[in-house]
Amino acid sequence: MTDSNFPRRALLRGASYGAGAAALAGVAASWDRLTAADVHGRDDHALVVATLGSSVDPAAQRALSDGFRALHPGLDVRLVPVQATDWSDFFAKILTQIAAGTAPDVVYVATEGVQLFAQRLGVALDDRVRRDKEELREYFADVHPSLVESMMFEGSLYQLPVEFNAADIYLNRAVLKRSRVELPPPDWDRDDFTSLLRTMKRGGGSGFTPYFWTNRLWGGVVPWLFANGTNVLSESKAPGGDWLWDTFYPPRDRRGRGGGYRWTGPQATADRVEEVYEYLSSLIQDRLCSRPEGGSGTNLVGVFSTGRVGVTPAGGFWAGGLHTAGMRRDAYDVQYFPRWRTQRHQFGAAGYALLKTSKKQDEAWEFIKYSVRRDVLTQLFRANQTTPARRSMVHAARYEETGPQNWPVFYDTLDRFPATGPIPAPPQVAEVEQLLLKHTGTALADARGVRPALRRLQSDLEKAMERAA
Amino acid sequence: MTAPVLSRRPAPAASATAPRRSLKDRGTRLLAALFLAPTLVGVLVFTVVPIVGSVVLSFFHWDVIGTPRFAGTDNYTQVFTDDTVLVSFTNTLIFMVFAVALQLLLALALALTLTNRMPSWLRSTFRSAFFFPLILSAASISVVMKYLFNQDFGVVNWLLGHVGIAPVPWLTSEHSAMAAVILVYVWQQFGFSFLLFVGGLNTIPKEIHEASSLDGASGLRKHLSITLPLLSPTLLVASVVGIINALQVFEQPYVLTDGGPGDATRTVVMVIYQSAFEQLRFGEASAIGVLLFVLIMAVTALQFRLSRRFVHYQ
Repeated sequence: MTDSNFPRRALLRGASYGAGAAALAGVAASWDRLTAADVHGRDDHALVVATLGSSVDPAAQRALSDGFRALHPGLDVRLVPVQATDWSDFFAKILTQIAAGTAPDVVYVATEGVQLFAQRLGVALDDRVRRDKEELREYFADVHPSLVESMMFEGSLYQLPVEFNAADIYLNRAVLKRSRVELPPPDWDRDDFTSLLRTMKRGGGSGFTPYFWTNRLWGGVVPWLFANGTNVLSESKAPGGDWLWDTFYPPRDRRGRGGGYRWTGPQATADRVEEVYEYLSSLIQDRLCSRPEGGSGTNLVGVFSTGRVGVTPAGGFWAGGLHTAGMRRDAYDVQYFPRWRTQRHQFGAAGYALLKTSKKQDEAWEFIKYSVRRDVLTQLFRANQTTPARRSMVHAARYEETGPQNWPVFYDTLDRFPATGPIPAPPQVAEVEQLLLKHTGTALADARGVRPALRRLQSDLEKAMERAA
Repeated sequence: MTAPVLSRRPAPAASATAPRRSLKDRGTRLLAALFLAPTLVGVLVFTVVPIVGSVVLSFFHWDVIGTPRFAGTDNYTQVFTDDTVLVSFTNTLIFMVFAVALQLLLALALALTLTNRMPSWLRSTFRSAFFFPLILSAASISVVMKYLFNQDFGVVNWLLGHVGIAPVPWLTSEHSAMAAVILVYVWQQFGFSFLLFVGGLNTIPKEIHEASSLDGASGLRKHLSITLPLLSPTLLVASVVGIINALQVFEQPYVLTDGGPGDATRTVVMVIYQSAFEQLRFGEASAIGVLLFVLIMAVTALQFRLSRRFVHYQ
């Protein structure tokens, strides 16, 4: 009898456990999802602004938030400096915050993420810009239209540029002197560049690398693609944007402007792209430059300042970096990127984006306007860690201590070469960047690697663009 | 006459104590359950739920921002047709084989060496030195190693240059990048196996070695016939942990080479990270994660199955 009872009891017990578990699961499922935002007192009233951690020093950040608070009493700003190795890492962390329910109201976004944020998360600023046009007129008059255009997506403006950096060439004066050559002229070309590297190499010794570069979207292979009048993705402009150009820019600056860039069809196997890779491959074979993956921005200051590197592409940001590292302003100088078929430069810009998820959009807009004021930018960029988007801020006094003698190059890159444009960064930029870096490494591994690697790059880019379509 | 009395002693004494013991047992079990409960809850919340969540997510398309859309088996189809993913599995397996083998061999050789006669202070110094890399952050070690292995400015090539060897593209050649990553990983990780082996060797009774010496066994014979069989349980633990860790390798290749050149050092966990957090394809990343989970389970199960033959307990 006991045997016959056991299964029944076990069955009842099992059933009751099951019912209990199901009830618990039901209760859990019926609850609203608990997110970090539910933590009591967390950012319930402050305007949350996410910045790339290391881009602005803490004192400057405090100045930014305190100044805004003084202007808008009762509205707190909480700056969240997100530590990240690069922009894609930064965007990944911001998106994770959004998924966790703690989306910031405003995010600092560089060219790499402008279209990604615009397409998925950003609020177009058009109406607000139109409404406050008188207030903003002075700002736009001070900012090059190329920078503004790089912040547009499909006819709408998503950010006000705060800073930018074009890829110019830094030259070590000690190495130039050792090689008995002068600073190259502004209109130097690719052959002059190669010749300079060869001259530097001859007197450089065994541990010397004439040209140091890194495998990245900004400053890697892309400046060479621009100089050769090409790109890995075909480039065009979206229609629209007249509302902005007509309101803020004179006719000469409006010409050719549109509603933002479109990067669509992959063209990695185009002849000009192949030429660029062949050229860089030949520099590597001749030991005139570092391999792209071997380079790293973190050890660049050390090898450049000690004369183990002759030239490298960098923007205005590096002037501050070299000064901090103790390099005297007369120990180096800067020149435009050399001409190939064109002397078009690439740049990357950054500004604050307003997120759809923000419940304080009007306050966020006030912050965005505040962040581009001249006095605010002056406080923020005291250390020359970047090139301010405002032309009036790029002057001799700024570079008196920290900058190279040829500092006008930084802003004149935009004025002198009006075709200069942003790095290719469509909404699926992360995948494009990853593929470009991966296949650039393979292409430059040996002399015969270029063509097969570019074919694979083309194929992978096509898949990536199709998948995102 | 006492015997019959004793023999007639009723069994109730036993039956009377039984319920008391049972109650005590039940109390002990309850107490044990109470102590275990927090950990169990932790395991459920932080291990079981995420695993189940990943499995569920692997059947959805989700980019963090939008609402998840049911994808059926699309993510798995995508994974099996994606060259990068397939290459990453191959890389990870190659990495696992060489890294674990090297790690175990190095740790075992050093542990055996340190059990020989040696001043205790020197032995302690060596043990600390070998264990030291394990307590350092893998990312920071990799950053330093990246400098050391730099083709143009690295110390390694600088040293090689002094003996007439041309600069080696350690991290930038498809032929040497994986080897460099394995070397860095093994250098950091072997301290764990080393500690296990030192502990395991100390548990082997000296008498057995002494007896074999009396029987005329050579040093090699003693290691093959006594040390290794008696160390086999430790070897099993070290290899299981080593393989599981190696299959999940991320920091070293991520920092040293970012998976390159090409895909030469791209590992599965790196692809999971990139799919999820760089390309916002969380469903696909989850599908790869599920496959890695299955792979680790299968390899571990295989090890335990094989261990029945090769592991000897005293």
